[in-house]
Amino acid sequence: MSAPALIEVAGISKSYGGVQALSLCDLSVPKGSISGLIGPNGSGKTTLFNVITGYERAREGEVRFNGKAITNSTPDRVFDLGIGRTFQLTRIFGRLSVLENVLVATQRSESWARSLLRRAASTSERGRAMELLDFVGLARLASDLAGTLSFGQRKLLELASLLVADPAVLLLDEPAGGVNPTLINQLAERIRELNKAGKTFLVVEHNMEFVMALCDRVTVLNQGQTLASGTPEQIRADPAVLDAYLGGDIAGEAVAEQAKKKSRYKPTVTAASPIQPVASEPPPLLTIDGVIAGYGGGDILRDVTIDVAEGGITCIVGPNGAGKSTLLATICGLLRPRRGEIRFRGELISGLSPGQVLARGISIVPQAHSLFPQMTVVENVEMGAFTLRDKALVAERLASVMELFPIVSERAREKAGSLSGGQQRLVEFARCLMLDPALVILDEPSMGLDPTTRGIVFDTVAHMNTTGRTILLVEQNARAGLRLSSHGVVLENGMVRLTGSGREVLEHPEIEALYLGGSVSEVTI
Amino acid sequence: MSSAAGTDPAAEPGRTPAVTVLPTQRGGWLVAIVALAVAILFPFVEGGAGDEGTMSIAFFVVIYMAAVSAWNIFTGYSGYLALGHAVFFGTGAYTLALAVKDWNVPAGWTTMWLLPLCGVVAGALAIPLGLVALRTRRHVFVVVTIAFFFIFQTLATNLSFTGGTAGIQVVSPPWTYPVYNVNFYYVGLVVVVATLALSWSVRRSRFGLQLMAIRDDEDRARGMGVKTTRVKLAAFVISAVPVGIAGGLFANFQNGVYPQGAFDPLFDLALALMGFIGGIGTLSGPLLGALVLESLQQKFTQIFSNDGLYLIIYGALFLAVLLLLPRGIVPSVAEQIRSWRARRGGRTAEAAAGSGLPKVAR
Repeated sequence: MSAPALIEVAGISKSYGGVQALSLCDLSVPKGSISGLIGPNGSGKTTLFNVITGYERAREGEVRFNGKAITNSTPDRVFDLGIGRTFQLTRIFGRLSVLENVLVATQRSESWARSLLRRAASTSERGRAMELLDFVGLARLASDLAGTLSFGQRKLLELASLLVADPAVLLLDEPAGGVNPTLINQLAERIRELNKAGKTFLVVEHNMEFVMALCDRVTVLNQGQTLASGTPEQIRADPAVLDAYLGGDIAGEAVAEQAKKKSRYKPTVTAASPIQPVASEPPPLLTIDGVIAGYGGGDILRDVTIDVAEGGITCIVGPNGAGKSTLLATICGLLRPRRGEIRFRGELISGLSPGQVLARGISIVPQAHSLFPQMTVVENVEMGAFTLRDKALVAERLASVMELFPIVSERAREKAGSLSGGQQRLVEFARCLMLDPALVILDEPSMGLDPTTRGIVFDTVAHMNTTGRTILLVEQNARAGLRLSSHGVVLENGMVRLTGSGREVLEHPEIEALYLGGSVSEVTI
Repeated sequence: MSSAAGTDPAAEPGRTPAVTVLPTQRGGWLVAIVALAVAILFPFVEGGAGDEGTMSIAFFVVIYMAAVSAWNIFTGYSGYLALGHAVFFGTGAYTLALAVKDWNVPAGWTTMWLLPLCGVVAGALAIPLGLVALRTRRHVFVVVTIAFFFIFQTLATNLSFTGGTAGIQVVSPPWTYPVYNVNFYYVGLVVVVATLALSWSVRRSRFGLQLMAIRDDEDRARGMGVKTTRVKLAAFVISAVPVGIAGGLFANFQNGVYPQGAFDPLFDLALALMGFIGGIGTLSGPLLGALVLESLQQKFTQIFSNDGLYLIIYGALFLAVLLLLPRGIVPSVAEQIRSWRARRGGRTAEAAAGSGLPKVAR
């Protein structure tokens, strides 16, 4: 603690409408440290990032950088001082190439008149940008449009595009969210390397193992206030933290080491959806047969064949860029397969429009947050049934959805945008059930959620399954996803590598090498 | 003119990829030179110079090419839809007419030397207008620019020094008819080439990269140190200058200005339509859009006189392009070419690499 604080936050308060996002929040990031910022969903972590980086104004309090007050500065000035940040929902310049994305930040302290006369980048700057892309493993994709990158690749690109400006401190908002475990390890390595080279980090992350292993110091936020601050050991031992952060009975990854129990929600899930032997099955609800598909340039799916069993939970796992999201887009009719066919209850659905696919009884909850933020919670849920003419039916469905998702009635008149990430997820589930779909497709349902909320989300998935819905799940948290599922599929490089029951896939010796990258196998859950 | 790339990959050592959004085409320069040669020789082919009507159409085409290309420097690269550039066109037109009247500038080539002044005045006017308008974003910005347009049209009609609804006369250059059109056409062509060069240099510059970053995600661009207000304002001003020059040239060609002609709401719509049909944010798209739409419109006007029938055909064409090539001609065609290449390249790469490499060819 002897190192001077590089970033110091003192008594910051911030509210949106009636909601107090931060109240008298304190934080100190020592120079040369890797500091962690954790807390339940909605505890104000991202808001604090926004206040530090000038995206939002604080009502009171002070932010200091190197001892100088920078409270309520502007984002560009904050960046010029040497504070770079990433975003929770990764933001890149989609219509620029990957390399151009990295070049945007190379122009610190230069007048526009000069910048007009100069080329976008000198050879040396371009070389440096390529080095950084190599550093994050994206050099091969340098001339691709950034908009074509997968979610995990975007995170890496976002990091590289900040590093080029050589900031003194990097604020990372959930760098490991939605990134596969192999890549998480690489990411941690990169962060350590950069830290040794003198960079300071402040990391918001829900992956406790990642935070605890990486950080020298951890600060815990709860309901907009600093709850505790100290070394990872101190934080782990702090009962107040466990209480506030981990909440009720669901064991998350943070207590994995202490509890040494594999998972507490496993028994309930197993009871809810007994794992059936693969052989004795009803005919599949959805068959994907030899599908080849991609956007513009090339094929991302290269011959995918999967059967989705009726009444089960099928979980698709695989590294970033394996084609999981593309597969879901193809099923939903957003993307037309170049070859192969998709059948739902025996009926050919590949080539139908998204609306027609939805009408057949297939609903999707997409990866990115998809609620209408300005509409109320109940309006959002009702939007799920806007194709239904029968008002009585809508009311009936709404009542049953509210029963399954109490949050819909509790927060009915609030704007959806004011809910935390986990709460929004549940409302999205509720919305998708309004059409009473036979098949529910969930794209990364647990992404960006704290362990408590994640447990609730997984329990809800299991519950939706027991109430008669077939579930197709894409999940980055492979262990939790597969444990929940009756069937598992490993997708890699646009092809199916492994199929079997959830447990078979989970325990398959190849999966660690293929997907989990070996060493992390013990710690990801 | 094809989509000339931002940078030339051959200039880089090693195999550093090209920094460009559009497919790099070595042939870009060649196509540009051929197109320019055709444009220069145009008055001599097939008795073009002899045909008064054809050369008049050609003049209007180059005027619009310059204006759309300049408009694209702001709207195409920054993503802010400006629908008030007629303000700068009209300002340029009135600047020329007033200067000729007040300073007794002799008609003919001497008048042409006033064109840079028209650009400077339009650019200077863009500074205060930009400062106000660029405080807003998206729809509000569009509405503010349209409001500017109506304010200026009203001012031109009502102020005393603009000559009211009658406007201001400019003495006609002492050229006989075929020569008259050809001379104006060549001056217009010079403005087009200069504007295109400006657009090209913006595109390949850091300034251009910052603009395009603003287009994709303005808030994140700010968070990466881009001085967004300054960059947007600079682009707004730069894009106003050639439009002012085009306005001055127009006033000279028409031998005068009047409010409805100089501040024409259809001018703003035409810029947007031409830009979108050709493909905004590209170098060649605006030129292509102006060539197609303006020549068709002028031709239809000649054939059907002014009874408005051409508007129906014009509308049908616009619908067809929107349906078939929603992002404009140039980006859609470039995407097709890229797709063919990738598919061909992807197959060979796949065959060579076997199944070992964990990467999808794109």
